[in-house]
Amino acid sequence: MPEIEGYKVVPLRLSADRPLELCHQIYMREHFIRLEDTDKPKGRTLFLLNVPPYVTEQSLGTFFRTKVDIPNKVSFAERPGRNESEKWQQHYIPFSSPTAPFKFKVAYVVFHKNTGVKRALQLDSIDLFNSDGNCVLESGMQLWHLQYQKHILNEKELQARIDKYMESYDKREQEALEAAKNSEADAEGWVTVGKQGRNAGFEQKESVVGRLEEKIVRGKKKKELENFYTFQIRESKMKNIVELRKKFEEDKQKIEALKKTRRFRPF
Amino acid sequence: MLKIKRKASEELDSGAAEDSMIENGSSDNMDDEPSSDNDDGFSERSVSASPAKVSKKSRKELIPATKAKEKLSAEVNNTNKKNQSEKVKPPTLEEINELKETRNLFHSNLFRLQVKEMLTELKIKEKYNNYIYNWLENFKQFLNKLENQAQKEDMGNQVWLKKSQIKYPISLHNLHIQQQKVFQFQFIKPKISPYLIGASATQSLLGPKVTVDICISMPEECFQKENYLNLIYDQKRAYYLAYIANKLLNCAEFGSELTTEKLKFSYHNNNPLKPILEITPTPLSNCKTILADKLRILLFVAAEESSFKLSRFVPWNSNVRASIFGDDVEGSAVMATSNYNANVLFDLTMQRNQEMLHGIFDGRRNFQEGLVLLKVWLRQREFDVGFNGFTAHLLTMFVAYLYKQRKLHTNMSSYQVARTVWNQLAYSSWDEDGKGISLSDKSTDLANQPTLEQFHTYYDVVFVDVTGFFNMTANLNVELYHRVRLEAKLAVDMLNDMKLNSFHMLFMTKHPLYSQFDHMLKINKRDVVDQIMEIYATPADKYNFAGYVYPVLIKVVLGLLRKGLGERVRAILPIEKVVDAWNCTEKPPDCSRYCHLGIVLNPDKAFEVLDKGPESIDEGADDFRKFWGEKAQLRRFQDGSITESVVWASANDSLWKRRLVVRSIITHLLQHHFQLESKDFDYIAGELDISYRLTPVFKTERMHEKYKVEQDVDSEDTSLNVIRSFDDLARKLHALNELPLEIVSIAGISPVFRYSEPVPVLPQARMIGEEMYAMQVQRGVIQLGLSGKWPSDLGALRALKMAFYIQIANLLREKHNLKTKVTYDGILVLKQGYCFSIEMAHPKELALLKKEKSERGLTQYVDCEASIALEKRHYILPKVTGALHALYQGHSSFAGTVMIAKRWLSTQLIDDGLWPEECTELLIAAQYLKTPSKQITSSPQTGFIKFLQLLAGTDWRSELFLLNFNNAMNENAVADLEHRFSTERDTFPPLCIATSFDEHHMGNLWSSGSKPNINVLARVTLLARHSLDIIETALLSTMEFIKPGRIFVPPNNGYDLVIQLKPDMVSNSWAHEFGTSFTARSKPNWRLPLADSNFLQKAVQKLREAYSDFAAFFYNPHGGKEIALVWKPNLTNERDFKVNEVNGCALSSKIDGKVAVKKEILVEDFKFILKDLYLRIGTVDEVLSASRNALPADSKTAITTGSKVFNPKIGEKRYFSQAQMDNSETEVVGVKNNHIQSKTIKSKTISAKSKNISKKRRTKPLKAKKSKI
Repeated sequence: MPEIEGYKVVPLRLSADRPLELCHQIYMREHFIRLEDTDKPKGRTLFLLNVPPYVTEQSLGTFFRTKVDIPNKVSFAERPGRNESEKWQQHYIPFSSPTAPFKFKVAYVVFHKNTGVKRALQLDSIDLFNSDGNCVLESGMQLWHLQYQKHILNEKELQARIDKYMESYDKREQEALEAAKNSEADAEGWVTVGKQGRNAGFEQKESVVGRLEEKIVRGKKKKELENFYTFQIRESKMKNIVELRKKFEEDKQKIEALKKTRRFRPF
Repeated sequence: MLKIKRKASEELDSGAAEDSMIENGSSDNMDDEPSSDNDDGFSERSVSASPAKVSKKSRKELIPATKAKEKLSAEVNNTNKKNQSEKVKPPTLEEINELKETRNLFHSNLFRLQVKEMLTELKIKEKYNNYIYNWLENFKQFLNKLENQAQKEDMGNQVWLKKSQIKYPISLHNLHIQQQKVFQFQFIKPKISPYLIGASATQSLLGPKVTVDICISMPEECFQKENYLNLIYDQKRAYYLAYIANKLLNCAEFGSELTTEKLKFSYHNNNPLKPILEITPTPLSNCKTILADKLRILLFVAAEESSFKLSRFVPWNSNVRASIFGDDVEGSAVMATSNYNANVLFDLTMQRNQEMLHGIFDGRRNFQEGLVLLKVWLRQREFDVGFNGFTAHLLTMFVAYLYKQRKLHTNMSSYQVARTVWNQLAYSSWDEDGKGISLSDKSTDLANQPTLEQFHTYYDVVFVDVTGFFNMTANLNVELYHRVRLEAKLAVDMLNDMKLNSFHMLFMTKHPLYSQFDHMLKINKRDVVDQIMEIYATPADKYNFAGYVYPVLIKVVLGLLRKGLGERVRAILPIEKVVDAWNCTEKPPDCSRYCHLGIVLNPDKAFEVLDKGPESIDEGADDFRKFWGEKAQLRRFQDGSITESVVWASANDSLWKRRLVVRSIITHLLQHHFQLESKDFDYIAGELDISYRLTPVFKTERMHEKYKVEQDVDSEDTSLNVIRSFDDLARKLHALNELPLEIVSIAGISPVFRYSEPVPVLPQARMIGEEMYAMQVQRGVIQLGLSGKWPSDLGALRALKMAFYIQIANLLREKHNLKTKVTYDGILVLKQGYCFSIEMAHPKELALLKKEKSERGLTQYVDCEASIALEKRHYILPKVTGALHALYQGHSSFAGTVMIAKRWLSTQLIDDGLWPEECTELLIAAQYLKTPSKQITSSPQTGFIKFLQLLAGTDWRSELFLLNFNNAMNENAVADLEHRFSTERDTFPPLCIATSFDEHHMGNLWSSGSKPNINVLARVTLLARHSLDIIETALLSTMEFIKPGRIFVPPNNGYDLVIQLKPDMVSNSWAHEFGTSFTARSKPNWRLPLADSNFLQKAVQKLREAYSDFAAFFYNPHGGKEIALVWKPNLTNERDFKVNEVNGCALSSKIDGKVAVKKEILVEDFKFILKDLYLRIGTVDEVLSASRNALPADSKTAITTGSKVFNPKIGEKRYFSQAQMDNSETEVVGVKNNHIQSKTIKSKTISAKSKNISKKRRTKPLKAKKSKI
């Protein structure tokens, strides 16, 4: 099998009868970076480049499990790098339509055993079709219809999911509230301050903090008279002049810019 | 000094209608330094009084930026820095004055600077003046050397003319003159040397082709007794001109280069009796500059004033007799030929008027430049064309008049001159009795000099010249005069509007006359014109215009239309084409012989279906019946009156039919009065409106019986039904008291709610089995009453939102028996055959999307892509929808304009993903908001033409489209935005639109860097130019108007690849279809798709998401059945292996260690992604020919294989019965992939070599599924 820059090049086959020149080439090698990432453990992670948009985590996982015979976990990212895997996951919000990016991507296959990577690198091709020669990936109208079916929700089922989710949410909230009420320091000496109660703190929002800071500044300013001394009046006049001049200059610059685009010839 | 000026400027500020600035500028001394750079025609202060140091500075600032660019910018930086760091320099009196003056006078310096800049651009270069001077000198010498002819010769017997190559430039035949008295002609050389007239005399020459008019005086000795009669003067004038032209050839002064090719004749103002000689300049012996394509010299011959008595040509005299037309002389009274007389007087009074102009314009740069401004304004509006036009000469004379009236002062700036002229023109009424104006001195009352009253009886418009005999507006069409007056008024309004920088609107943008018409009537067939002239033109008119057909025809037709249309129209304007100059060796061409009228509707009255006449017993009833013929009916009205009336349509007809009422009236009138059938004339109105009408192929009678729809409806009509149904749904939602929180607001956000959906929405949505089917889904947004209990976790919030959806869906089902479905994106509701999707907006959701932790550990709210999209959809779009809906209420043509525009874009394969729909809506809305309401068209077609003009003519980089709805943004905010736009242009998208609802996303909300990107923008501009060109030529020519298909069928060239889709997978659009140039026509498919599915759109979206780095995808969202594709340039270049740049790459077969993108692999991807949706892929030609060759018989050979067969969801039977079976097998056309090495092909299924693939089509036995019906 050909190699390039340390990557092994294998074709990605979607059906048994597709000629190899018409298949995407996947570049793979063992994942290796200096900074250790717990999600992509050294020696057990296979790194794949140029994974086409329609390939799913599940289909890749199934393929490697059957071929390499070692359980694995597949994750995608748009490009290699820090936080890229998280970014890929970010689109997921509970109770909204799934919108996984449909793009070329890189894949990380984490095997449960160290031998996985080595064995995977021995493969001649990545075959995403079953024994009948049919592709395991859904695509085209079939896929869209499937997605449409999921798009129309079953109300009972949804209600059940909502109830479950809210239950756990309420529980979490309750716990947080409890923690706030109970104003005892924890092991490290921190006290949780909530919104309620005697010792309520203010919300750590930028707008709130900004308003507070502004208030202080305003308080100082209030004490000054603005139109009292001659120099103040003179200064305000001066400002006015500066303003006029500035406008004049700005307009001139505008003209300068316009002139470059030759917008003064009516015909 | 200062006080006076302040006062003056304050007056101005208050917006007084009278021009108070005439008191202004007492110390202006612009004549002092005619050549200095500072002399820009504006009143500028002399700087003598101030301290030298400071004056130096202010001087520097005045130097035009062209000369001192770098200096200036350097200085700007300097002063800015100084302002910040050091003390501010004390301003001088002059500086304050100047700054204040410009602010008050021009509202902003910008306007002043722009005008100044334009004037410098327009200034004619010195070499032109040099050349003109030299040419004139040579010409004088030439005339001096000419000899008088020895004796008189009979007119038909001019020996020199017979010998000469030059043809006599008047054709009496064209004027239907049959009998001519013999007269004699003798050339006598002019006694007065030739002089400049027109623009060059007033130093107001305008490019790009500079025209210099020179007048030659024809001495009185050339004329004999009674030469004033029967066009003899005009003929002699033409002989004189031809004689000079003949002598010019090969004369010593101009050398051998002046050949017959450089001499042309043309008609002065399209007047066939007034030929002029047009000379292409040749290098002169003393001036070698070559200006051939930039300059032309016109020689005009005019008789000396003393040739005839001026009183010979008073309006009531007859100088053209019936006899020359071969008409019966007996019994016909002598008829006044006032217009002919005026045309002769034009020549006779030439010299005196010119002298007067010299006295006023010479040496006054401000007047000259003011005139230039006015001429630019006039020319951009095309009022100065032809026989009936409002010429620049009239403007010049008006400036002179105002000067004499002391309305204009010598020390006014050019801006003030223009402004005063507009102001005076706007409030003039030269067409009303006693209100005409005269340049002549009342004191020297000559015998027989007509009074103003007398002028008014003979002419529509009166503006008398300096002699008191000649009405310069004799030929001016009164409607055109009104239009010019209106434009002048608008100009003043624009200048007064502080918020508007009117420069572009006034001077830079073209407002072609044709784009102001709502409808157009064209009568130009030769026999039809002759018939009208023969039967309906009065002899009086014929003699008056000396046999010239055009003005008579216009008068006859216009008179009829005016009477019949009354208040329905604002104006009926003749539109004339200039007769091209012809070579002097050819016979003169026929002059205008057509009647092209543009009709400007009055939207308040034009669409009324009934014309009420007088009561049946009134005197007028008889006339009324006669005028309207059998159309007149006696009707009784609700108020009890019984009157004669004409009915044009039924009261509840849809708007598009009522828009054509005026057409019906005109057709009827022409038929009734002139016996014209509809094939005899062209009436252009609403041809393109068909693009948003329901396609005739779709038969509404087959529809569900419950909801009846007329067959001939358009999208505007159906929108109203949708909105009504939605309002009803809104009422029901409001009344859902069982909800824990009340629904407080409901707003539509789909285009249909702002009348911008070009595809008719029919009440067809339905449940079939458990599935919901609908062609379109209309979306609305609801908001709930306030509550503090919403969770501050995004997941929990969305969970609660979904719970609300379920509850609302249940309630609607139970209480109102509506079909509902819940999705994550909203509740789908079926109501009265429409499908609505209701989603809920919640401010907290927006806030949670924005939530971030800052580095200080504080929670902050930062806009992200998702939050902006949500804010736009849930909060801004409803507001904009409301505003646009309101705009439509005010101007009903808005809807149609947007619909045509959207259809045009979609048929050009520009869909929402390339060019957001809202951009089209907002661009047109911006245009409507900017146009003064009197000029807003009431016909969608014209609105669309204006939209094309906008697309074709806009400099996207420098233009910001700001829609300040209800003036919600104050001046500062606008100025701030504009400033940011000009200084930080690159932070805004290529097409920049902002509305007053956009909050802090100003300019970046409706478009983005990728939507539309620069390429799409450029393409749309190009397409618009092309379409506009087609429309413009069709409108102005004498040809029939184009078939709409010509601009609604996209060109198919330029695309690399076409993916043809299966016709039965993509439903046709309900809008009128124009066909496609990509595939052969297929049977329409009216199958209802699953509600809210739109698989094609989704497919293209996916393709774009994944492959936009490789190719651009195009499709027509309104029923288009193909996706066209253009590869990115340099896509397949070999490149180094880089981890971040290997997407889609395979190892290069040519160079080791390099990779390259392979198109054929990507094509396989497309096939995979579009499985079951595409029919074939190939180049444009391949797909086209394959689709043509695909015979229905082929389908029988299709083999069904494969384990999984895709089974499309089946709609109701009757919608399937039309579905097409014959194309349901998938074909694959090989892509042009010559470089695939055929040896390496292993696969069994590809048996042919790759080179053959491209030619031989292969039936890929993927699947073929016939539906079971």
